[in-house]
Amino acid sequence: MAAQHSLAESASVGLLGRRGQWPLIIGFLVLMAVGIATVWLVITSRAQNQWVAHTFEVQTRTTSLLNALQQAETAQRGYLLVGGDIYARTYRSGRDATLRNLAEIRKLTTDNAEQQRRIDAVEPIVAARLADLEQIMTFAESDRLIDAVARVRSNEGKRLMDDVRRRLGAILRVEARLLDQRSTRARNSAYALLGVTLVGLSLIVLIAFLAYRSLRRYTQAIVAASDELKVLNTDLEGRVAERTADLTAANEEIQRYAYIVSHDLRAPLVNIMGFTSELKAVRSDIAAFRQAAIEKAPELDTKESRILIEEDLAEAIGFISTSTAKMDRLINAILKISREGGRVLTPERVDMTALAENAAQAIHHQAGDATITVEPLPSLVSDRLALEQIFGNLIENAVKYLDASRPGEIVVSGIERGGVSEYAVADNGRGIAPGDHERVFDLFRRSGTQDRPGEGIGLAHVRALVRRLGGTITVTSEFGVGSTFTVTLPKTLLSEGGRG
Amino acid sequence: MNPNPVTIVMIEDDAGHARLIEKNVRRAGVCNEIKHFADGTSALAHLQAADVRAAGPVLILLDLNLPDMSGVDILAKLKADEKMRRSPVIVLTTTDDKTEIQRCYDLGANVYITKPVDYENFANAIRQLGLFLSVMQVPETE
Repeated sequence: MAAQHSLAESASVGLLGRRGQWPLIIGFLVLMAVGIATVWLVITSRAQNQWVAHTFEVQTRTTSLLNALQQAETAQRGYLLVGGDIYARTYRSGRDATLRNLAEIRKLTTDNAEQQRRIDAVEPIVAARLADLEQIMTFAESDRLIDAVARVRSNEGKRLMDDVRRRLGAILRVEARLLDQRSTRARNSAYALLGVTLVGLSLIVLIAFLAYRSLRRYTQAIVAASDELKVLNTDLEGRVAERTADLTAANEEIQRYAYIVSHDLRAPLVNIMGFTSELKAVRSDIAAFRQAAIEKAPELDTKESRILIEEDLAEAIGFISTSTAKMDRLINAILKISREGGRVLTPERVDMTALAENAAQAIHHQAGDATITVEPLPSLVSDRLALEQIFGNLIENAVKYLDASRPGEIVVSGIERGGVSEYAVADNGRGIAPGDHERVFDLFRRSGTQDRPGEGIGLAHVRALVRRLGGTITVTSEFGVGSTFTVTLPKTLLSEGGRG
Repeated sequence: MNPNPVTIVMIEDDAGHARLIEKNVRRAGVCNEIKHFADGTSALAHLQAADVRAAGPVLILLDLNLPDMSGVDILAKLKADEKMRRSPVIVLTTTDDKTEIQRCYDLGANVYITKPVDYENFANAIRQLGLFLSVMQVPETE
């Protein structure tokens, strides 16, 4: 009882353990979500940082544009004042840088229609200023300084320059505003990333803890269950040994019982038989006495007294004798079977073909013109005496219950099948009615026409022997056609000592 | 003939068996005195009494299935007794178990007779026993 209870308990522990894994699974799912969010945030943050960098670039380019234009203006004035290649070169590099920066800005701000419009607006002014400067430079290079100075004095250049400055300033302001927005967004993304990463980290710690605890509990449950199983196993072995001992004891008890009963039944039977014999002798004496009396006094002879002494008494004594004789045979049969159960089996290698042939030879004189064929049989390691009795009985039965209307044919065959050998004793005799197939194995039970001597012991004895050898016996039979008794026996009989 | 007729001590709990044995012994022409005991205790008491021991060996017919003790125990006691061990013992019982027969002979039983239910055989066995008794020389006591 206790063992069964704990078995159920360990089963429920297993279920609890499985249920305990759910938080763990949810934890892993959350962790996965955190991971995905982190990746997404990293990508977003990177994009936003790129935008910030982009804005810086636009700002730098814009400033560079203005600087380049101013460089061109300054160099051109220097050239006017002192002339020389250096100013001319500086002017040209400023002019080229101006154009380069402008193109760059235009390219950078393709995403922003507003800025594009502003660039569209500033571009002709820059171009005009550059054309103005170019004109002055052309005058100066061709020694028309007066025209050049006049051009400068016109203040057209200053007006254009102011306009460019104002417009570029507007572009820069817009970019500054954009930078502000984009920086904020990038910062927020960074904070979010940090937050999510922190959450993920703490979740990892938490899940690691949960996993550890769950694993620990699970392992403990397994260890406990395995310990319990070990105890149960040991217990089971003990219990099997106990039951086997009980069974052996019960079996011995039955055998002792059969033995004692048959002995104690025999004692009164000795009296009945003995005194019946005495009665028989007395009856003979009385009959003789009557005869003598009649010879001397014939008038004493009556029919009644003759019937009483010669018939009734003789008949009664006869019935008592035959009944007690039969009872004695039955008791001997029980005794024989109970003794057989107590005999120690000694396994040895047995040549079954030779054994069956010997059995057939022994019965030969009873067989008449019937043929007994023994096919090659698989050998066994078993108890020789028991096997001799089994096959002797089966072959004798086959001969005994042949059908007089046809020549008898008895075939003993055998095959190996896994760990067992199967032997069949088949005849073409009178067969057994379907309802009697099981009954023929019962003690004192017989089947069919009762025209053969016997007490109904043979097959009961055979079955008891087959069972002792660890085998089974079955019969297939058709009434009026024949019977086949099949004996299945283990190839190797464990010795008695080996069982316990 | 035997100048000192031997007493036959029959230890048999079944009155019918006792009667049948006696009848057949007598029928065989043996007329020695037969003392009948129905249980082991009284039989042992008789056999161990001083006067019986002094009178010398007796012939014992012993049944193995007794109500108060096993005939085998009685046999063992008799054969352990310095004087009684010379008394021949005939075991008469329903048991025809080989190991039991062997045990009785080992303990010193002289003859072992199975009571057959077949009366003719039984009567023959007893008659032969009677013949055996009539020719048997019981050793004289000193």
